[in-house]
Amino acid sequence: MSTTTLTRPDAAAARASGGRTSVGLGAAVRWEARKLRAQLRTKALLVGALLAPVAVVVVVSAQSRPPKDTLFGRFATDNGYAMALLVLGFASQWILPLVTAVVAGDIFASEDQHGTWKTVLTRSVSRSRLFWAKVLVAVVFGLVALVLLAGATIAASLVVVGQSPLTGLSGQTIAPHAALGLVAASWATAAPPLVAISCLAILFSVWSRNAAVGIAGPVVAAMVMQLVGSLGGIEAVRPYLLTTPFEAWHGLLAEPRFTGPLVDGVLTSAVWSVAALAAAYVILRRRDITGG
Amino acid sequence: MTTTTRAESDGDAVDVVGVTKRYGPLVAVDDVSVRVAPGEVYGILGPNGAGKTTLLRMLFGLIRPDSGTIHVFGRTWAHDGVRTLDHVAGFIESPKFYPYLTGRQNLEGLGLLDGTWDGRALGDRIDEALDVVDLVGREDDRVGGYSYGMRQRLGVAASLLRNPRLLVLDEPANGLDPAGIRDMRALVKRLASNGLTVLLSSHHMDEVEEICDNVTIMSRGSVAFHGTISDLRAMAPDPGHLLRTGDDAQAAAIGHDRHRDVAVEPAPGGGLMVTGPQHELSSFVADLVRAEVPLLAFTPTRTPLEELFFMLTDARSEEVA
Repeated sequence: MSTTTLTRPDAAAARASGGRTSVGLGAAVRWEARKLRAQLRTKALLVGALLAPVAVVVVVSAQSRPPKDTLFGRFATDNGYAMALLVLGFASQWILPLVTAVVAGDIFASEDQHGTWKTVLTRSVSRSRLFWAKVLVAVVFGLVALVLLAGATIAASLVVVGQSPLTGLSGQTIAPHAALGLVAASWATAAPPLVAISCLAILFSVWSRNAAVGIAGPVVAAMVMQLVGSLGGIEAVRPYLLTTPFEAWHGLLAEPRFTGPLVDGVLTSAVWSVAALAAAYVILRRRDITGG
Repeated sequence: MTTTTRAESDGDAVDVVGVTKRYGPLVAVDDVSVRVAPGEVYGILGPNGAGKTTLLRMLFGLIRPDSGTIHVFGRTWAHDGVRTLDHVAGFIESPKFYPYLTGRQNLEGLGLLDGTWDGRALGDRIDEALDVVDLVGREDDRVGGYSYGMRQRLGVAASLLRNPRLLVLDEPANGLDPAGIRDMRALVKRLASNGLTVLLSSHHMDEVEEICDNVTIMSRGSVAFHGTISDLRAMAPDPGHLLRTGDDAQAAAIGHDRHRDVAVEPAPGGGLMVTGPQHELSSFVADLVRAEVPLLAFTPTRTPLEELFFMLTDARSEEVA
C-alpha cells in the first residue's frame, strides 16, 4: 500500500462546526436513485414499459375477432381509446403489481442480499432517513413506470388502431378529444392502488429480507384479492380489497359519471399504504443488523 | 466492574460500561466494559464466537444492547442517534459493497451518505483514499470483480473518506494473503502514528501484539483479560519447544536429572515437549550436545503470548462449560 497519508481536515473548522451532521433525506434519495439507475433490471423494466404495450396493441389489433368478453374488448380492434382501456384492464390484474414490486420488493432486501446494511448504516445517515428515501424512490419508480406504460399504450393504440368516437359503458358516444382525457384519467386512477402495492412490496421486502418474497408476495396477494373480489356474497369486504381501486375508473366512462369508487379507492389505498409502511418502519427500526 | 460517569467518559474515544447482549438463552456479550483513550491503538482479542463482532456492532448502533452504556467521544445512540458516529469510521467483518457499481461509484455514494455534496472535494478525497490503500487504477472496475483483499482495502478507503478520529476495524487481516496482512498492518500502524485512535478486533495474538497498546481478551462473551501488552507479556508462560532427537529417552533423562526448571514431557505427535526459562533451555540443549544425543529438531510451538491466549480463553470456556 502507498505511503501517502490522507489529508486531515482543519481541526479548528471541524470543532467550529461541531463535527459532522446527520445526512438529510435529499442525499439518501440521491444515493438510492443512483443505485437504481445503475441496475440493468431497472433500465430493462422501463424500456419494457415503453415497448411491451406497443407489441400488445399490435398483436391484439391484428386479431380477426376482438376479445368481446372483456371490458371494451368488443371495440378494441376498431377504436384506439377502447384498445387503451382494454390494456388498462389487463395490466391492472398483475402487470402493474409486478412492475412496481420488482423494485419495491427488492429495494430493502437487496441490502440483505449484498450484506450492505452495515455499510450504509455506519455512515452519517439514520435508519429513518434511509427508510423514507427507499420508500420515496420505490414509489416514484412505480409511478414513472405507470406513466410510461400509460403513455406508450395510449400512443400505440391511437397510432395502430386509430381514433374514432368511443362508446362508453352506458352506451353513450364520447367524442375523441373527451375520450382522450377520460382514457388518460382512467390510467391515472391506477396510481393510488399502485402506490399501495409498492408499500405492500416494501413490507414484504423488509420483513422477509428476501427479494424473491418481496417481489412475488404482493403479486400473489393481489391475485388472491382479485379472486376473493370475484366471489359472490362478499360485498362488505370488496371495497377494502387492494384490487378494487384498480376498477374505479369504470365510473368515469359511465353516463352519468360517478366518482364514489374513486374516492373509496383512494382511501382504501391510503389505509393499505400507511399500514404497510408503519409495519415495515417498525420492523426495520427494531431490527438488529447481524448479517453481512 | 468500573463505574463511569458521563463527565469521565467525555474524555474517552470509547467507553463501554457493563454491556450485555442476549439472543434467547445465548449470552453473546456478558457485562463487558472497555475504555479506549484518544490516540490509543486498542485490541479486542478472542477466538471466533467470543463476542468481539457483536460488541463492535453495538458500538456502531447496528445492534441494541440489552443493558449497559456505550459512549463514543461522549455521545450515545440513545441521546445522539446517528451523530454518535460523527468521528467514527470502520467496518464490521468483511466490508461489503454494491457489486454492480465500480469502486469509485461505491465511494461516491458513501460520501453522499456522509453529507459530502461537493463533487470535486469528494472526488479529491476519493483519489487520496484510493492512493493510500493502493487501489489506483482499479477504481473504475466493478466491485463484483474485486478480490477479497481489494474489497478489504476498499473498506479502509471508505473509512478514511470520513476523516475519522476513531477507526474501528473488525478482523482487518481476515482472508488476506501474507503480503496483504503485512500491508494492512503497516497501514494501520501508519494511520495510528498520525494520531488516529484505532480499535481493532482480531483472533491473532501476533497481530494485536504488533499493533496495539492495550488489549481486552474476550472469551464466550466475557472479558478474560484486560490490560497493556506489557502486562500480558509479564503473565506469559515460559515458551514451549518441540524437541526431536535420536534418543528421546536419554534426552528426557538429562532434562529430569540436570535441569529442574525445565519440564520435559512426551509430545502427543512424537518427540518431546520442553518448557522452561530461556536460559535453562539453552543450557539443556548444550548438555544434550555434550552427551552426544543426536539432535534432529528443536522448534518453538506457540509463542508465550499465544500460549497465554489459549490458557485464558480455554480456561473461560471450561468455566462456562
